[in-house]
Amino acid sequence: MSIIQQHTASSLSDAWRTINIDALDPDSSQNFDTSTLHPPLPEASEADVRALNGQVRQLLRGGDSEGALRGCLENPIYNGSEVAKDAHLQTVIEVLQSIKASEMTPMLQRIYDSNGGSELVDVLMKYLYKGMAGGSASSGGLRTPTRNLTPQATGFSQIGNRPGSTNESTGAGMSVLLSWHEKVVDVAGLGSIQRCMTDWRKV
Amino acid sequence: MASPEVHHLFHRPIADHSFSADRQTLAVAKDTSVELYGKAGNAFKLKDELKGHDKTVTGVDIAPQSGRIVTCSQDRNALVWEPSPTGYKPTLVLLRIARAATFVRWSPSETKFAVGSGDRVIAICYFEEENDWWVSKHLKKPIRSTITTVNWHPNSVLLAAGSTDAHARVFSSFIKGVDARPEPSVWGERLPFNTVCGEYLNNSAGWVHSVAFSPSGNALAFAAHDSSITVVYPSGPEQPPQAVVSVSTQLLPFMSMVWNGEDEIIAAGYDCEAFRFQGNASGWQLTGTLEAKGRPGLSGDAREESALNMFKQMDLKGKVKDDTQLKTVHQNTITTLRVYEGRNGSVSKFSTSGVDGRVVVWST
Repeated sequence: MSIIQQHTASSLSDAWRTINIDALDPDSSQNFDTSTLHPPLPEASEADVRALNGQVRQLLRGGDSEGALRGCLENPIYNGSEVAKDAHLQTVIEVLQSIKASEMTPMLQRIYDSNGGSELVDVLMKYLYKGMAGGSASSGGLRTPTRNLTPQATGFSQIGNRPGSTNESTGAGMSVLLSWHEKVVDVAGLGSIQRCMTDWRKV
Repeated sequence: MASPEVHHLFHRPIADHSFSADRQTLAVAKDTSVELYGKAGNAFKLKDELKGHDKTVTGVDIAPQSGRIVTCSQDRNALVWEPSPTGYKPTLVLLRIARAATFVRWSPSETKFAVGSGDRVIAICYFEEENDWWVSKHLKKPIRSTITTVNWHPNSVLLAAGSTDAHARVFSSFIKGVDARPEPSVWGERLPFNTVCGEYLNNSAGWVHSVAFSPSGNALAFAAHDSSITVVYPSGPEQPPQAVVSVSTQLLPFMSMVWNGEDEIIAAGYDCEAFRFQGNASGWQLTGTLEAKGRPGLSGDAREESALNMFKQMDLKGKVKDDTQLKTVHQNTITTLRVYEGRNGSVSKFSTSGVDGRVVVWST
């Protein structure tokens, strides 16, 4: 007797190939909360973020842009609501926009060379990527619809909101982020991009 | 520094390589087989091929004393190849894993070996005399993901393992009747099987690619996918470590590393060259590359450039210089770095192999 005779219609179909066997295994990583692998992060409320942003703006008004940049990079919002995270991103971008192009590299170098500075530059890299991913880098907390626009099949998602004036400010914000990105890679190397990708602490 | 000895074996990735103790034989994992190269003059010539796996071979290790070769593969098996006058005889090892085997290393005592796997277990394999076969015991807890690498402590009981759950762990693999009771150390005194002696994670927590005990066994280093190297100095059982030093580099991640004495680590990876780290419990730093920059003999430098050739190149490629070659000896990622020659924990020569099919012997 060959075992082939025991085949039924259901075993001959390909449906069993799509069974997710990980879901049936109690030990599998799918049935496991991966966040328990890391020590918990302190939670930041929206009020904390507002207070911090107030301090950063004050430093910025006082002309201490390096202090302002350090201030927001030393307190990244890892564990908080999306609103709090976005608010902090806006502050970081505001600070970045206020710094002149000629000051970028010396300032980054000073931060990188200071104690624990490479960590701060890695945080900056995370905010740069978050800013670029969001697509809306315009200041003043104005949310452009670009953010939730799904890209068209053609890939020309920008065309949809061409008539709006927001597009230009988005482009300007993006060019600031891109030039910062270039400077950060010059100072902290490709390693900072690596850490930005591997890190489980998302901003 | 003597110039490195380069052996370009083939145009395929080398998953792992291992030299025999007399350095006359080189075993290389290539696709589904293991190729044995014998030293002939200054070159390595293909001597034998070990065929037994039917999926990609992921690890190969030659035991220095007995000459046995252990291999593991994505077909979920490990084979022990016993040298005999008529060639190598394979013996299948019962690993009892449902996913690929990823990494294999003999213990220093050569009575056991450890196989890492995608099944979230490490199989510790030893030979059972009465049944005349290799059996395995599983280190299971608290591994949450694929084991990418293992490294043995000099006492052959403690085993470090790196995993894609971003943790480097130290386990006891004590097997009654095989191991002698180990001396108490900073990792612990009583060490029954599967004791977790340490579990470490660095800040940005990438996949761990490589783990290594220092020559004394009293410190552990691991390299992760966040381009960092972390060195842990434990202070005693059940106590927090006395120092955890992490170096975040500007480079691409490291895939493999070895200790050279207690205060130097040599690591290599996606940058296609080896780097030197120096330090101690109070701090570590990257001190430079082991690649001699601007070596003569890089192809393209010595070629005579005629005007005709120049215009020909511009016409064909749109540029004059051929810049398709990296300035490093390895032309692709280095995946394995091993001690080639050394004594008492200090390394005088080491070997690297990588995706470019080269095996290179370097002096430190």
